Amino acid sequence: MSEYTVVGQKLPRVDAVEKVTGAAQYGADVHPAGMLYGKIVRSKHAHANILSIDTSEAEKLPGVRAIITQDDVPSGRRVFATDKVLYLGEPLAAVAATDPDIAEEAAELIKIEYEVLPVVQDVMEAIKSSAPRLHSDETKEGPNRRDISAKIKELSRDEADGNSTAIRKLEAELENYADEVYYNISAESHTEAGDVEKGFAESDIVVEDTYVIPRVHQTYMEPHVSVASADSSGKITVWASTQGPFAIRSGIAGTLGIPLTQINVIGTTMGGGFGGRFGVIITHVPAVLLSQKAGRPVRVQMTREEEFLDGRPAPGCVIKLKTGATKDGHILARQALAFWDSGSVSGASIGSTIRVRGVYKIPNIKIDAYGVHTNKSGTAAYRAPGAPQAIFAGESQLDDIAEQIGMDPVKFRLMNMREEGDTVPAGGSEPEVGYKETLEAVADAAGWWNREADKNQGWGVAVGDWTNGCGPGGVYVSVHEDGSARIFHGSMDITGTDTAITQIIAEILTIPYKNVTIRRGDTDSAPYSTGSGGSVVTFTMGNTAKLAAEDARRRILELAAERLNTNVDDLELRDGAVHIITVDPPKSISLGELAAYSLSTTGGPIVGKGSFARQPSTPALAAQIAKVEVDPDTGRTRVLKLVASQDVGFAINPMAVEGQIEGGTVQGYAWAMMEEMQYGENGNVNPGFVDYRVPTSADLPTVESVIVEVPAPNGPYGAKGVGEPPITPTLATMANAVNDAIGVRITELPIKPEKVVDALKNNGHGA
Amino acid sequence: MAKHPVSLTVNGDEHDLLIEPRKTLLAVLRDTIGLTGTKEGCSTGDCGACTVIVDGKAVTSCMVLGVTASGKEITTIEGLASDGELHPIQQAFIDTGGYQCGFCTPGFIMASKALVDENLDRTEEEFRHALGGNICRCTGYTKILEAVLQAVEEIRATS
Repeated sequence: MSEYTVVGQKLPRVDAVEKVTGAAQYGADVHPAGMLYGKIVRSKHAHANILSIDTSEAEKLPGVRAIITQDDVPSGRRVFATDKVLYLGEPLAAVAATDPDIAEEAAELIKIEYEVLPVVQDVMEAIKSSAPRLHSDETKEGPNRRDISAKIKELSRDEADGNSTAIRKLEAELENYADEVYYNISAESHTEAGDVEKGFAESDIVVEDTYVIPRVHQTYMEPHVSVASADSSGKITVWASTQGPFAIRSGIAGTLGIPLTQINVIGTTMGGGFGGRFGVIITHVPAVLLSQKAGRPVRVQMTREEEFLDGRPAPGCVIKLKTGATKDGHILARQALAFWDSGSVSGASIGSTIRVRGVYKIPNIKIDAYGVHTNKSGTAAYRAPGAPQAIFAGESQLDDIAEQIGMDPVKFRLMNMREEGDTVPAGGSEPEVGYKETLEAVADAAGWWNREADKNQGWGVAVGDWTNGCGPGGVYVSVHEDGSARIFHGSMDITGTDTAITQIIAEILTIPYKNVTIRRGDTDSAPYSTGSGGSVVTFTMGNTAKLAAEDARRRILELAAERLNTNVDDLELRDGAVHIITVDPPKSISLGELAAYSLSTTGGPIVGKGSFARQPSTPALAAQIAKVEVDPDTGRTRVLKLVASQDVGFAINPMAVEGQIEGGTVQGYAWAMMEEMQYGENGNVNPGFVDYRVPTSADLPTVESVIVEVPAPNGPYGAKGVGEPPITPTLATMANAVNDAIGVRITELPIKPEKVVDALKNNGHGA
Repeated sequence: MAKHPVSLTVNGDEHDLLIEPRKTLLAVLRDTIGLTGTKEGCSTGDCGACTVIVDGKAVTSCMVLGVTASGKEITTIEGLASDGELHPIQQAFIDTGGYQCGFCTPGFIMASKALVDENLDRTEEEFRHALGGNICRCTGYTKILEAVLQAVEEIRATS
């Protein structure tokens, strides 16, 4: 867009130099004087009653300064397990010592007596009556039982004659669904639109399958860490590697039962988050409690092993999906029954099951989703939480239908895609979207229309949709006597957002990008800001920054009018100066001169303020195509080509946007092909990078990114959230490519070589 | 635990230290000397975030005991820029967007430096494999490879 000079440009990031020189301060780089090292004592069993915790030996170890258990949590909120542990690695106590090795030794000296209980790790086992219960004996009904029970309830309400026979009949019918009495349910969600039974009856083709998606870890490179310092007045300072300092502040206040203003959270540079860095009790609360007890600052830093045991990864799930279509390619109905593995607490993104609807016109839809407790740590968001799982099922099945009716997978998708004004299944009306443009862009860029494949090679396509979130934020911008501007705000930079905000302010103030600097405040000083997750930052803080810059601009023009003895209407802000457009020769005054002048005016310095909460967001699509080659002997899949397009609305910094697309796509690839948290009889068995493989540069070719720009009406310059969409389609893209290559439909991820070899033995056209 | 005298040179500065034998070179660099640019990502030698150059070779400093580094010459990310000028590899990471969160970046830059010092004539594919010991979770590696190849060109042009 040539009308802009700073936004839309590939500019180096504002934090460039500190990031490449080692100067950036991450959580574990904070080291206040006298700091102690904390260590969390963790359960050695996945399910057990705690008989006793004996800290006496540990207390005697020289260098140990504090040991805490649940008894040290004054509010009583659960920070440490007391009578029962629900997963391997669950915190039971914490130690602070003068040296990290001493803290570790002390942790090992704490004696815990367990009474081991039966363990359940698999969601389909956990719902059965035979499963051990994590929390209670309460049961929930499956979809068919729910429908019948609802009818019984309705009939029981009117006491008309003949109803009793009908009720008895329905009660007998309930018996057919004895296996639909579910145990260990943490949450449920049900959505329906149209009549799926009718839709399936009218379909020429009905495809049904069960998709299994593993639990994966966000695997941000910096493990969880916090440094806390509680001073003698009760004031608490926490240096936290977090996506949301304000959420951490309220979380700590709530957990400890202390006022917000007693806590200052300083967000440190964050070594990745991807949704997993909002947790309050993982390290922050233990660090505060240890510091309060020891009277010294304490750092609690997780190891990578602890990350796998007690992080909050993305939930795995089992999705039973059924789709009906006509033989000329119209999708008529889709039904899903999903079980999400929420681990020991609730919180899995079960509502995301609705994303099996994709971006297609589906008149009849029914979704039943359950969160299921298992003996694992709780879960958290991971880049478009829940969407990659649901979209894997939806987009895999879509290809199977396309294959059965003999239609090209891209054409089939284009034919069914929604456009502006179409009804979103179980939703409202679609706003202006760029679904078709995005899919067409990736097909063109990848060479889909004249694709070629040798033996055992194949092409796969899939699309995924996501809509960015929104939240409150505030930004101040000051203009200085040298004509430079300084931004002050409280939102965490999530790989480029500070840069986008800076570009927006420079654009509006018409000053060079390098003359605008940005400073993040702590929760004591900065205006409130929503957490940096949900692809919110550029949308929310970009809008906020625009408002702040426009506010500053108003003041600048007002000052210039005063200074130049004219009306605001005769003035124009351009190239870092205000010009009178009505006089010849033109008269102008620079921003620096105006800032200097402002200091002696009644109105005072130039400070622009922006405050924003929400505007409707617009859905964005990511579309991807992969070409793979599968070795039928080893089962190994090699990616030959990976092309990713995305509707980003408007790319404020195309380099950063490409980076998001490439990175998200590779995370999706990893979920499809290699990542899986594995659980044995006593919990997670692959808590490290040797057994939990994440991709390296050797695993992949260059990811080709294609930027599509269909502006969002309420986004800054039309921008949509870009962080989350790219991970959503890749799981299915890969599965569809493997299917195309060797005729094997893998429905259980990851697509590991041994699974491919096994599947090929039974069917497929490879070898 | 008894401490042992250790002398090492880090980024040209000599350090005479007393170190517990259980401390890793990473712990010595970060906690004793205070050079926190080198990162700890896994503590098991699998992610490469702690990569530094010891006597010309890239090593994962979490897998080296500090006492065994005595007498050696170590370069960390803090020692790469000279006279306020970024090293071409650092500049290339900025120009191409070869970093995002930046946590793996010091390790990637040091691993790349050792590779480039050893042999400039590698293909992209060879660099992809040679950097396989470093994990980045944000970039998907595309721009990291672009950065390394740009740096190679720059170094070639100026040497």
